[in-house]
Amino acid sequence: MTQTITAYPPTPPKPPMPVGKRLALTLLPPLLMGLALVLLYAGTRAQLPEHRQFLMPGASDLWVQAFSRPDVLAELGARAAVTLSIAVVGLAISIPLGMGIGILMFRLKVMERAAFPYLVALQSIPVLAIIPLIQSAFGFGFLPKVLIVALFTFFSIPTTLLLGLKSVDRGIIDLFRLQGAGWQVILWKAGLPSAAPALFAGLRISAGLAVIGAIVSELFFLAGRGGLGQMLINSKIDFKYEQMYAALIASSALSIGVYLFFAWLGNRLFSDWHESGGKSS
Amino acid sequence: MTDHPQDQIALEFDDVSMRFPDGTQALADIALRIRAGEFVSIVGPSGCGKSTLTRIASGLLPHTGGTVRVDRNNVGFTFQDATLLPWRKIQGNVELLMELRGVPASTRAAIAREQIELVGLKGFENHYPKRLSGGMRMRASLARSLALDPSVFMFDEPFGALDEITRERLIDELVDLYMRKGFTGLFITHSIPEAVYLSTRVAVMSARPGRITETFEIDFPYPRRPELRFDPRFVETCNTISSALRATLETAGPAQ
Ligand SMILES: Nc1ncnc2c1ncn2[C@@H]1O[C@H](COP(=O)(O)OP(=O)(O)OP(=O)(O)O)[C@@H](O)[C@H]1O
Ligand SMILES: [Mg+2]
Repeated sequence: MTQTITAYPPTPPKPPMPVGKRLALTLLPPLLMGLALVLLYAGTRAQLPEHRQFLMPGASDLWVQAFSRPDVLAELGARAAVTLSIAVVGLAISIPLGMGIGILMFRLKVMERAAFPYLVALQSIPVLAIIPLIQSAFGFGFLPKVLIVALFTFFSIPTTLLLGLKSVDRGIIDLFRLQGAGWQVILWKAGLPSAAPALFAGLRISAGLAVIGAIVSELFFLAGRGGLGQMLINSKIDFKYEQMYAALIASSALSIGVYLFFAWLGNRLFSDWHESGGKSS
Repeated sequence: MTDHPQDQIALEFDDVSMRFPDGTQALADIALRIRAGEFVSIVGPSGCGKSTLTRIASGLLPHTGGTVRVDRNNVGFTFQDATLLPWRKIQGNVELLMELRGVPASTRAAIAREQIELVGLKGFENHYPKRLSGGMRMRASLARSLALDPSVFMFDEPFGALDEITRERLIDELVDLYMRKGFTGLFITHSIPEAVYLSTRVAVMSARPGRITETFEIDFPYPRRPELRFDPRFVETCNTISSALRATLETAGPAQ
């Protein structure tokens, strides 16, 4: 049998892509997708009978009736601030509470056995279904809304934290034990830092949920000067669909903003040392 | 090497045995006396209880029979991997044990810098472990233990995960540290040449349940230099220990 030898010449490295082309390649796909969606929207709107077109306001109406009007913009801003404050206070309750319960379950096996099944079970109750109950119990002020946000965001926190605390490197724990460190020291200097990235990934999602929870809570509480959720309902009642859309857009912008903030914060805190972090060498 | 009072015992296993709650008899009647300033390596087949023995000696694991005598307040321990805290820079990692012992901040910073320099990591104080190679991480781990200036130093296969070249360099540095600091060493390894090169004495352990079947005095003078590895007497010693190790496997039967 004869062998056939093939010569493989070197492959010259590809010249780096010009900046313009690279930018176009990253920006063009989402832009085109966006354009397609806008066209789909416009097409659907055109299909609607005239008297139902108010359901899908056109871009110019949206501009004229909402985003170009300083009073609407001011209202959006003020209401976004209210929604954000509900979300933030809700998180300020659920995060420490959830962490406390996570730590307690970690420290006391009995607590874990006792609480864990209920945490899982409670997670399956739709929060929406108990809003009327919360209303009856706590009235219509700030507190019930904050509680709803706390309920929306609470459950993943203790379970993620517990999982993180349990997966601390055993060698590291031994290292601490060899120096006679107590559990508080081990928790503070080994457990929490090691669990922090996983916990933070969970918090990022909770934070986005907090805004959604705040808006949902407002749908049920129309008294007083509320946030974006109330604006959604009010503009429906007043038949101002452009402003409703504006409130919708502001809501998702707020939710994305909060998510991005936590993502940025997590990256800042952990990217230097965590495996998943960007800077590797 | 610093001088120790003749025959002062630094670490003693007096018929120590270990049975785990699940019934596994890991160690049976371990008898071993290590004098202060000795460097004893233990070689034995995988699973014979070497890690268990060091964990017992250090106090991480309570044993179930016999007596262990050691000053546990002055024990250094190096694990198979570096076990650095990934969220601390090298400086912070080397300071950790001192911090846990309550050494004041300024003192421990200075000591840490000294030890970092000693293990050849100067300039890497502000690096996170993830940016260091495996060998460098092991060095940092050594520096961390050295910072407490332990009188008994236990090593559980510290270089097992490293490549041959890095490994030999670190062994040379360990010999150096041993001569400089004069600690008592208990070194676990799979590698007979490594054990012979480092130690004043090599103990051979049998398969589970682990016992010490034989010990060999190694009388090559320190400092030991890499050429020693080619010395016929060195090779012969390795062969003798290797036969002893094989003999324990044969009497134990084909179980492992
Ligand atoms: N917590 C435990 N419960 C039950 N058995 C255990 C436990 N820890 C270790 N063992 C058993 O004890 C024996 C000795 O384990 P050990 O880790 O000390 O071996 P080793 O000599 O260090 O092995 P290697 O060389 O692979 O590191 C093994 O058979 C192991 O399965
Ligand atoms: Mg082992």
